[in-house]
Amino acid sequence: MENSIPRVRTARAVKVRTDRSFTEKTFVVFLYAFTGLFALACFVPFWLVLINSFADESAIKRHGYQLLPKDFSLSAYQFVMHGKQVASSYFVSTTVTVAGTVLAVLVTSMYAYVLAHPKVKYRSALSFLTYFTMIFGAGLVGFYILIANWLHLKDTLWALILPYLLNPFFAFIMVSFFRTLPYEINEAATVDGANDLKIFFRIILPISKPVIATVGLFYALQYWNDFFLALMFIDDYKLHPLQMMIRQLISNINISAYVGGSQTVYNQPLPTYGVQLATVCLTIGPIVFLYPFIQKYFVKGITIGALKG
Amino acid sequence: MAIAREIAKNKYLYLLAVPGLLFLLVFAYVPMAGHLIAFKKYRLSDGLWGSKWVGFDNFKFFFMSSDWYTVTFNTIFLNGLFIVCGLGIALILAIFLNEIASRLYKKIAQSFIFMPYFISWLVVSMMVFAFLNTTDGILNRTLAANGLEPRNWYLMPGIWPAVLTIVYVWKFAGYYSIIFLAAIAGISGEYYESARIDGATRFQQIVHITIPLIRNVLIVLALLGVGRIFYGDFGMIYGIVGDTAPLYPTTDVIDTYSYRALRQLGDFSKSSAVILYQSVMGLVTIVIFNAVAKKIDPDSSLF
Repeated sequence: MENSIPRVRTARAVKVRTDRSFTEKTFVVFLYAFTGLFALACFVPFWLVLINSFADESAIKRHGYQLLPKDFSLSAYQFVMHGKQVASSYFVSTTVTVAGTVLAVLVTSMYAYVLAHPKVKYRSALSFLTYFTMIFGAGLVGFYILIANWLHLKDTLWALILPYLLNPFFAFIMVSFFRTLPYEINEAATVDGANDLKIFFRIILPISKPVIATVGLFYALQYWNDFFLALMFIDDYKLHPLQMMIRQLISNINISAYVGGSQTVYNQPLPTYGVQLATVCLTIGPIVFLYPFIQKYFVKGITIGALKG
Repeated sequence: MAIAREIAKNKYLYLLAVPGLLFLLVFAYVPMAGHLIAFKKYRLSDGLWGSKWVGFDNFKFFFMSSDWYTVTFNTIFLNGLFIVCGLGIALILAIFLNEIASRLYKKIAQSFIFMPYFISWLVVSMMVFAFLNTTDGILNRTLAANGLEPRNWYLMPGIWPAVLTIVYVWKFAGYYSIIFLAAIAGISGEYYESARIDGATRFQQIVHITIPLIRNVLIVLALLGVGRIFYGDFGMIYGIVGDTAPLYPTTDVIDTYSYRALRQLGDFSKSSAVILYQSVMGLVTIVIFNAVAKKIDPDSSLF
């Protein structure tokens, strides 16, 4: 958009230090305070969930949620881990995320490569076909009938994987990347006798790692966090992903039977809040741990996506 | 047979597109047939094609009840709040972060602000519940500790547009501020230098340089939002509000309404009519706003 002007950042960063007047200083303090408080507000809910998942259930009941840990109890985690549900939900979420991401990246990159290829005469028609699905949806009812009645995918893992294999928005991010690759690569390989399949899998994919990582992580996040598909198509508890488990814990009357499996009997009172918070921690745990490493890929993806509209 | 010739010539390339095309056909175009149900009295035993045509009856029922007004208003009103507050706060955050000299501070703050983007709506819902629940929620405990009356927030529809807006800003301010920061990084430092020589304060530089130069980005993001104003965020609203009926008057959007019609009432025809209404309104809006975007900035139109 505004990229015609070259970036001169370092010059500015040095200049910033020269402010002296009182109002300027007050303004700087205000900048730090505002951004700092906002960052804190973003962090506190995570902190609360973590701390209170280790709190004693009776302590929450008595004092409410704690900002600072008063006591330390693993009872909620013990309860969750003893049950069968968390293991099967973890398995479902992981399987769907891994299989879905791999398939989605493959389908999307192959498709995007064709949309970006100058040799393909009908690429703008294909682009429009893709774009149109973004502005005129099939809607819930047709989608439901398709999955449930025509493809018979209810209560299968395919219902959680297939519907997200090609996201037009991510496809266009890839298209814009493939367009930046020099066409000479293609010509040289063709002269050497490689066909388009070989060129794509042997040459293009290996040099496209950055965009594959970015788009792949977006897909993985979508698969991991989704509950819509499970809500629509999965009634069988054994196939509930983690997000669905959280939903059941919010709304389910019989948490003990759900988390533990129906035959389990507990004679202790049920740590309702603890179980909810512990499950949340187990669900967002992998994301929070990976966050420092994956953040930059998301920043890149968002920036490309936004600049390409 | 120009098409056949073109495909034969680049057969491997078109082969690569087959999975993607098949996907679009099956998962995006075939289900469009579902819109036909809006004009039928759908019965599971008769299927989509066998069910009886009833003309506009399903629309009549929807438009004659007050529901259509409530859900349409809520969808537009909530999305409007999200666009204005979400983009507004993100813009302020981006400008402020950009003015901060300490790289470390900036990086840490930005990391925290971006973090909520990564968690699911159900996790967010749990956090909201921790703040607002009646007996043990943080807000009510705080009120009680200060001698004030605790309230049952989940029975008070009036506050929920505000609650949802706060949640939206919390989750997406980081996301949008990344876009704004990228745009600000594209502004040449020379503008600021010459402004400084002329004695401009920092605040004046923000108002007279930064904001005008990233105005187009702001407009495009706003138009993208407005173009989708008829689509509620199902994951967000249903994740947070769920089946809490007392909150429907202010939080029920077209998407949650049609979901309940389909999955809880089993009324395929009504649900389908609501969705077709939404799809058509959505298409009209995006075409109009694309034309507007084209007028403002020819490069920023969407198609």
